[in-house]
Amino acid sequence: MENELLKQRFQITRRHFLGKMSLGLGSVALGSLLIPDLFKPSDDGIPQLAGLPHFAPKAKRIIYLFQNGAPSQLESFDYKPLLNKMTGQELPESIRKGQRLTGMTSGQAKFPLVGSHFSFAQYGQSGAWVSELFPHMSKIVDDLCFIKTMNTEAINHDPALTFMQSGAQQGNRPSMGAWMSYGLGSDNKNLPAYCVLLSRGRGNGQGVYSKLWTNGFLDSIHQGVQFSSSEERVLYLKDPDGRDRQATRKMLDNLSELNSLGHQEFGDPEIQTRIQQYEMAYRMQTAVPELSDLAQEPDHIIKMYGADCLVPGTYASNCLLARKLSESGVRFVQLYHQGWDQHGNMVGEMPLQAEDVDRSTAALVMDLKQRGLLDETLVIWGGEFGRTNYCQGTLSKENYGRDHHPRAYTIWMAGGGVKPGMVYGETDEFGYNIVKDPVHVNDFHATVLHLMGLNHEQLTFKHLGRRYRLTDVAGKVVNGILA
Amino acid sequence: MNSTSRVVSNIIFCIQILLLFLLLVEDSISLPPFLQLAGRMHPLVLHIPIGVGVFLVSLQLFAPKASAADRGTVVRMGLLLTSASASVAALFGFFLSLQGEYGGDALQQHKISGVILSWLCYFLVVLDSLEVKRVWFLSLGAGVIGVLVLAGHTGSILTHGENFLFGPMDKSSVVLTAENASVFQYAVAPIFEKKCYSCHNESKAKGKLVMTDIDRFKAGGEHGKPWVEGKPQQSRMIKAFYLPLDHDEHMPPDGKPQLTLIEIEVLKSWIKSGADFDKKLGEFPDGDTLKLRVAELVSKEPVQEIEKIYTFEAASDDDLEKMNTPFLSVSALYLNSPALQADFYVRKEFDIKSLQQLKAIANQLVVLSLSKMPVSDNDLTIIASFKNLEVLNLNFTSIQGEGLRSLEALAHLKSLSLSGTKVSARHLAPVLGLPELKQLYVWSTDITASQRDSLAGKHPDVSILLTQFDDNSMLRLSKPMLVNEGVIKPDDQIVFRHPMPGVTIRYTTDGSVPDSVNSLAYEHPFKFTKTTVVKAKGCKDGWFCSDMAEFTCFVRGKQPDELILLTQPDPQYPGEGVQSLTDGRKGVADVLKEPSWLGYRKNPFVVGVEFQPQPPEIKEIVISYARNIGGYSLPPKEVEVWGGESEISLKLIKKFTPQQPTENGALKVDMISVTIPPSTHKYYKLVVRQVPRLPEWHDGKGERSWVFIDELFFY
Repeated sequence: MENELLKQRFQITRRHFLGKMSLGLGSVALGSLLIPDLFKPSDDGIPQLAGLPHFAPKAKRIIYLFQNGAPSQLESFDYKPLLNKMTGQELPESIRKGQRLTGMTSGQAKFPLVGSHFSFAQYGQSGAWVSELFPHMSKIVDDLCFIKTMNTEAINHDPALTFMQSGAQQGNRPSMGAWMSYGLGSDNKNLPAYCVLLSRGRGNGQGVYSKLWTNGFLDSIHQGVQFSSSEERVLYLKDPDGRDRQATRKMLDNLSELNSLGHQEFGDPEIQTRIQQYEMAYRMQTAVPELSDLAQEPDHIIKMYGADCLVPGTYASNCLLARKLSESGVRFVQLYHQGWDQHGNMVGEMPLQAEDVDRSTAALVMDLKQRGLLDETLVIWGGEFGRTNYCQGTLSKENYGRDHHPRAYTIWMAGGGVKPGMVYGETDEFGYNIVKDPVHVNDFHATVLHLMGLNHEQLTFKHLGRRYRLTDVAGKVVNGILA
Repeated sequence: MNSTSRVVSNIIFCIQILLLFLLLVEDSISLPPFLQLAGRMHPLVLHIPIGVGVFLVSLQLFAPKASAADRGTVVRMGLLLTSASASVAALFGFFLSLQGEYGGDALQQHKISGVILSWLCYFLVVLDSLEVKRVWFLSLGAGVIGVLVLAGHTGSILTHGENFLFGPMDKSSVVLTAENASVFQYAVAPIFEKKCYSCHNESKAKGKLVMTDIDRFKAGGEHGKPWVEGKPQQSRMIKAFYLPLDHDEHMPPDGKPQLTLIEIEVLKSWIKSGADFDKKLGEFPDGDTLKLRVAELVSKEPVQEIEKIYTFEAASDDDLEKMNTPFLSVSALYLNSPALQADFYVRKEFDIKSLQQLKAIANQLVVLSLSKMPVSDNDLTIIASFKNLEVLNLNFTSIQGEGLRSLEALAHLKSLSLSGTKVSARHLAPVLGLPELKQLYVWSTDITASQRDSLAGKHPDVSILLTQFDDNSMLRLSKPMLVNEGVIKPDDQIVFRHPMPGVTIRYTTDGSVPDSVNSLAYEHPFKFTKTTVVKAKGCKDGWFCSDMAEFTCFVRGKQPDELILLTQPDPQYPGEGVQSLTDGRKGVADVLKEPSWLGYRKNPFVVGVEFQPQPPEIKEIVISYARNIGGYSLPPKEVEVWGGESEISLKLIKKFTPQQPTENGALKVDMISVTIPPSTHKYYKLVVRQVPRLPEWHDGKGERSWVFIDELFFY
């Protein structure tokens, strides 16, 4: 009898099962008391409180000199003598491998290769090749790190530009600067963490629009603040005539009280943002005039950047202003210079575009260097894709054009933890495909975040039920260019 | 008794589940202090299961014949005690492990074996109560003892270190150097030790290869000797390194730490030089590959330390919060770092007290930027107390240099920026002597290149940066600018400016090209009575004169009483009807959709103008039009002016044919001035005709041009 009962204990009864299970569950419940955050609401969506890098950063600030329209790598930094030898010959199918083309050249019956109209030479100890169009940048190649193997998935300006800026082609994602502001916060509380400066060259241009510096789903405090191209760099910042600062202060205090009431009632976080923006604008009233009065710069600085740097809205003046903003702790200064879309008239337009940016870009890098700031400031120069090695439209002795080419293009970075005097990656001798060390846009983003002390996989924001990253689900840090 | 043992057994079960659960959520646990205390009881509790276990084993071994009844109770009691104490020991051990003093593989092994032990003990209790066959019970018991030994041993490694047990039997503890050891001992064996010994040792011997013993290593494994003297390419070992990672023969196997490139190079050159086990590094000739590779291997090692570790205490969060103002930002270098950086902003708001306040974090401050702040030499004494400072930015501060002496205390300073200050070369001696200084920035100071060179010669470790943008070529000035916008009233002052101070603006109003010597110099604002084209250049010593700027100053004229459009504009470009022509609003030449423009293509532009009741004298009519040639908007082919006393009695007064362009040219808002004999008609009619066929060179050759007009002026 005893034994039978015992045997039954091998076949667990429901009562036994439930009894044991309640013990087990009880234990788990007891154990869960040791997890303090178990029942706290998830903190996704609240800006990172610390606003600190995940690890020791190499760069504290970024100046991104975006060359909008896609400057030709073949007329600037990716020297391909074979194209000069083969000018007029057909692009071999073994090179193109059926790659899709834009609607602008897909109908062309022929794809004649065309070499650079402009001559190249090697410069500096690194021996980097630079075309004659960039005489000043060629002097600083030993401070630059050229990446010749950037590649993207987009083939037209808007998606490519949006991809380069936000890690997605469709838009509505936060752009790089917004991610930086979200991840690292603002250093100088008197200026926005993310500033945007626009200029336009003399070549065929493509538009830029405010979605490129959007905060996307991040708090709107992270949105890029666009500086005006007029004399008054931040519009409506001055107090109206006849009102003093005391009155403004009083007005803001009262307004903030009202807004706080609104926030208590509705709980909309954007109301808090609005209060913060008013306060920031108030502080900017002191900080911005000190910065934007470029005429106060000494003569030798004006000479460095060129006379145009005093003309508001030029690339040169934006470079000078970018230096001043960055020096004052602005986390991310984004320039856009339009006019690099040389589908035709490469020979006519490329020199004008290069002339507009060459001197002031080199001046900016040198200026940061002599102030000891280049070590902690990352400067990036480049466009959204490259240009084809074949001619778009009619190839004549005097002129030619190039279509969009997403498979390989050149950008450079300087300062902030990047190896100086380096050429990374290699394209084939046709300048069409990558043969060594490709750097995808996602890799580029991962690397830039890494230099800023951020792990691209950890800098996330939960939105619509999933965690988003600047690099989305891809991206590898390019260790080869890290100093 | 029975009910007590059931309660105990249930508690033991609970602990097992708890253990498993805690192991799963380990990372998110935070421990209250009383459990930390419990954790520290682990070393006490863990001895109970060992003791009782030994007792039970002895009972089994030495009193197998004790009466069943006695044994039953004693064994059950013993087992319960073993199991309960093992479970508690495991739980406490787990708590102890969370306190962060232990780590590494040994901890992991100890933790796992402890939990397994605790579970096995519980099974033993269960088996005992089920009265299964003795042999099951005994074998599980033996297993428990085995795991107990394992857990005990890994625990001893944690407390006493790796070689505690066998340490006394270990012979040598001499530090190997390149001088006292052979290349094999010094450089080759350590690589094997790190990457190969774990599988190729006397107890494991994968592929029957033992590498820990030189003789057995020379004898080789089942495939023979792993190397061929002098021939690295044919050596089995080297080949295995180069096989694809997923290949079965690849060594070390996938998942194990792989050899670095330099390690492979060292092994290759060791084999190449004959795989000698006794030769010392010094016996190889200078420049020998093996020697170079070993040097590389050894020097690479310190580079592996990635981040500097700061050992000082972190500052309190309260302190930090108090210091942060909009004009001073103090924050950690990165997450969880005790090292701090401080940046001051906005010169006007600088307060020396906030710098003094930083003394509260004097130990933690590593980076300090006072760029552009009105800091004087005396204030540097405050900075001298920040003894861990590594980066100091004093660019464009008010220091003169004498105060740099007080920075001598900064033994860790690596980078000092003094650009744009008044320091001179003689002030630099104290800072150049700093032991860790690497970079000194002295651009835009009184220090000359030759002074820099002589200082750099004396301090080769410091890079002294004095870079200047090296380009002294003459540059061209930017163009002067017209400040006035839109239509100017006759009594408005016309103001020109140039953004650069000290530029003279030379101008003409007669259409001729201004020159830098003879043309009028713009000194103060002036007035125009009618629309005038100004050509101007900016000139300054040391610069090339700017390119010529051309401005059309549109000046408000006599106001007609009524205007009537006699032909209608193209429906796409209706502007705001006739009032667009006199509203004083100027269009821009590339945005023709704007309401300031009236666009005509099919019809000529015909407008009736009425001056009532006292018609003024009119001598000139100015038409403002868009010159956007690529956009098909050209100057009109011809302009007719009709005049008379009433709408029906008009006579042609003047016919004017503007000059046609020969190429695309710049976009601009241009004017056509038609001079008529002075007249006082009541009515005028203006007819503006497009170019009927665009010229050959134009993209739209043969098509009809547009004309866009935004304003009319009468003088």
